[in-house]
Amino acid sequence: MTVASQVKQCVASLKNIEATLNSLAIRSEDKEASEVFRETCQTTRRVLTDLETRVKEMEFEEPQYKGF
Amino acid sequence: MPGWLEVILRSFVALVILFTLSRILIRKSVSQVTYFEFICGIVIGGILALGSINLQIPIAYPLMGLLIWVTIPHIIGWLAIKSEKLRNFVYGKGIPIIKDGKVLEDNLKKERYSSDELLKQLRHKNVFQVADVEFAVLETTGDISVLLKKDYQPLTPKDMNLQVAPIKEPETVIMDGKVLDEPLATIGKNRRWLEMELEKIGVAIENVYLGQVDSYGQLTVDLFDDKLKVPSPQELPLLLATIKKCQADLEAFALETDNQAAKNMYTNNAKEMDEVIEKVKPYLQQ
Repeated sequence: MTVASQVKQCVASLKNIEATLNSLAIRSEDKEASEVFRETCQTTRRVLTDLETRVKEMEFEEPQYKGF
Repeated sequence: MPGWLEVILRSFVALVILFTLSRILIRKSVSQVTYFEFICGIVIGGILALGSINLQIPIAYPLMGLLIWVTIPHIIGWLAIKSEKLRNFVYGKGIPIIKDGKVLEDNLKKERYSSDELLKQLRHKNVFQVADVEFAVLETTGDISVLLKKDYQPLTPKDMNLQVAPIKEPETVIMDGKVLDEPLATIGKNRRWLEMELEKIGVAIENVYLGQVDSYGQLTVDLFDDKLKVPSPQELPLLLATIKKCQADLEAFALETDNQAAKNMYTNNAKEMDEVIEKVKPYLQQ
């Protein structure tokens, strides 16, 4: 597996994490818990955007990795 | 009126009186009642019994007796709430029998409490060695309350400096195969959601004996058919595992890449994910 596809896989996992955290933040009855989930969800989103930019850079540098 | 009929009538009235009295008087179990209240209860019972069987006594007499034996203790109880002195006088006060790890023999003697009795009561509290006790009080009900020395107390998350997630009471949403709509509404879910959750774990609602939803909205069920295995909720542990994997991946990318900017970006993000793990860990580990 190439590095680019590994990074892409990581991006997919992060998306999954972000979505689950978001749904937990909405579902949790406890305020404190909901707050923690919301915060971590935002952090994950930041990491996600960073990685997505990196994927774009990689695809620009090495176009053969474009797509899946 | 024939005697037997009168007995029936009186007994019936006595029963009704007893029923109403026991409802309005106090909400304590028999073991929590003080000596004074206990004796009052016995006397009330005696009056009712005598009044219902002994036909020579005019019906007004037991009623008058009851009036006194019910109202006076009731008033005393009410006054005792207001005044601490009266409370200590009527109901007594807890007496320390072990202090600083030493048995106070004088207090034991005063209360006619033998060493055997003390050991027996300590054993009731799962204490088999007197040396483990820091402080013990003989309560007015005759029980003893025990404070163990700190090193014999059970370990709590606080002792371990562990962070734990707050917990809310679970709601019971299925009972005997029937959906309870009210608790379901309190947690903001509906029948459609419940059907979906049941479908996820693959059981029919008729087969569910008890179903509860925890504070994270996870459904746990107990089935009538005990041979069937129900998967326990996997979402939270799975999420934690995924986050950990991503964090590890990011660290690996940081090591692999030659591009300095990308290296920094990966390292920073790995750190961020590490913080995320620390934050959500107490909530996801159950």
